[in-house]
Amino acid sequence: MIRYPAIIGVILATATLIEPLPESRVQAARPKEGLAIVVNRDNPIENLSIAELRTIFLGERSHWPNGRRITLVMMEPGQPERNAVLQDVCRLSESDLRRRYLQGLLTGEVLVSPKTLASPVGVRKFVFNVPGAIGYLRPEDVDDSVKVVRIDGHLPADLEYPLKIEERSER
Amino acid sequence: MSERPQLTTHEGVATFAPRVGRSAAFFTRYSSAIFLVLLIGLEAGVVRFVIRDVRSANNEVQRMYASSVLGLHRIGSLQYDAQETRRSTLYALTTNDSNLQVIYADQSREADARVTAGIAEYLQQAQLPQEIELAHRLEQDWKAYLAARNEVLGTILEGSVKEAVAYDLAQGVPLFDRVRSDLEETERLYDEQASQRLANVAALANKTVTRLLTVLVVTVLVAGVFVWVLQKDKMASTMQMAKMQMDFAASVSHELRTPLAVLCSAVDNIADGVVSGKEQLAKYGAVIRHQSRQINGLVNQVILFVSTQDGKGRYLLEPLAVSQIVEAAAMGTAELIRKAGFTLEQNINPGLPRILGDLTALSQCLQNLITNALKYGDQGRWIGIRASEEGPKDHREIRISVQDRGKGIDRSELHHIFEPFYRAKAAVSGQIHGTGLGLTIAKSLAEAMGGRISVTSEPGVGSTFTLHLPVTEELGQSKDTVGRIVAQL
Repeated sequence: MIRYPAIIGVILATATLIEPLPESRVQAARPKEGLAIVVNRDNPIENLSIAELRTIFLGERSHWPNGRRITLVMMEPGQPERNAVLQDVCRLSESDLRRRYLQGLLTGEVLVSPKTLASPVGVRKFVFNVPGAIGYLRPEDVDDSVKVVRIDGHLPADLEYPLKIEERSER
Repeated sequence: MSERPQLTTHEGVATFAPRVGRSAAFFTRYSSAIFLVLLIGLEAGVVRFVIRDVRSANNEVQRMYASSVLGLHRIGSLQYDAQETRRSTLYALTTNDSNLQVIYADQSREADARVTAGIAEYLQQAQLPQEIELAHRLEQDWKAYLAARNEVLGTILEGSVKEAVAYDLAQGVPLFDRVRSDLEETERLYDEQASQRLANVAALANKTVTRLLTVLVVTVLVAGVFVWVLQKDKMASTMQMAKMQMDFAASVSHELRTPLAVLCSAVDNIADGVVSGKEQLAKYGAVIRHQSRQINGLVNQVILFVSTQDGKGRYLLEPLAVSQIVEAAAMGTAELIRKAGFTLEQNINPGLPRILGDLTALSQCLQNLITNALKYGDQGRWIGIRASEEGPKDHREIRISVQDRGKGIDRSELHHIFEPFYRAKAAVSGQIHGTGLGLTIAKSLAEAMGGRISVTSEPGVGSTFTLHLPVTEELGQSKDTVGRIVAQL
């Protein structure tokens, strides 16, 4: 049974297909750094594979091994960190991701709807407050209030770390 | 010259007596000032007590005020921040915006940090067992509530509002009620402590008043006792002086009456023609001359006493040889000694230094001592005068002693013999004529010359009065120079 809000969501998701490329994509390439995946400090998880990370960010996994519900937190569309996750983890464009979430919510394949926050500080505080939260932050935005998870056994500072992002431009 | 037996020594008695007399006179003269100083001292003590207590009370009030303000502020802050912690958590329920929810969560955590710090401070400053127990309970209840609050916040941020509300109602509300109850109990305990402090201040104020009254009563009592003692001493002194004056008047009257009666009788007999013949007339003339001289001598003694006591006597100080002084005194009393049948023996060491003094005064002083020996030394009928230089190098003095072999002076009377008008009991009972001024005048004259008189005596053996005169080293000056020194002593 199709509901009206779902139809509106599909229309909106389709509209994003004609959005121009983000400005960051047309800028000259800058040195890259690892994008940290952070969870609440009470979360016992220490390491995730890139595949597990993909299922989490695509909303296909709803709970942590300790039974806590997974709460996915992302930054607003257009942010470089979000783009890096879309590219390296989800391997989807923004529009594909939106479409997938909308369709997944309708079909029940997507179990977790991501929370969207405007700033890295907001992401960090959200992860700090929510025991089952998972998000991403540049290394310089990480502090002791959250825990950095290894990806495929690597930390963001490692060369083999799979999740990279261009360094933040100096202003 | 024969040596006298060793006498019981009362050396210094006469010098002690003047010092005591001077102290008493000083005390009598400045008694009011002394009393005033003492009273001021007492009042200063009272003021010191009062100031100390007032300061203490003031400090206690300040402590209480500061404690009250601080305590009220602390309790008020705790209550406000606890409410703020919960309020911010509940605000997060009112929005679906995750950004706003994070802000509310932040505010809640900031408030809870202040509460936690406030409780820690309260725990640190708690002293009474009741306070410590309450602080620990508050700390535990607050931690329990924060755990529930964290769960509620997490659930809200996850987007599960219904679950968050249900959890808050089930866990958060009762736990927060316990915290609120703890804070109310803290406030009540604080009120009790403030009341206790207030009672302490009131007790301190009462203590101050009591102490002030006590000290004032003590001050008044001391002042009263002091005045009573002063009045008593003055009264006794006045009565003693009055008695002495009465005795003096009686003595002088008695001394005057006898020669005057003889004079009147002689003159009446001459006037009535009872006396006839040249030989009888000459006999009456001799009687009249003797009695007149006796009256004249008595009047001179009184005048001399008055002049030495008022401190207005004028003396011509000049270098004097000791032999010169002794000789003058011996000449002045030669007739009396002869008539009394006494032997005067002089023993003046050769080479004695000269002294600075008034010849008339010193001669009179020695004459009074010799006359005294004549009156009371009738048993031995011997008077010895000895002069020598004694004392340490830096305090050399000439000592001229007048010794008799009379009845001596009782030990209990030695303290009084230099007092004006004092007559020894033996003198009164023995009907020895006198005014009680001779030794007083001698002492005053000695002191006017910078010296003093000491006495040693043994009842039944005799007495020795010694005139001590300081030796002045610079007496190589000519007589004319020193002779101009006129002292008003």
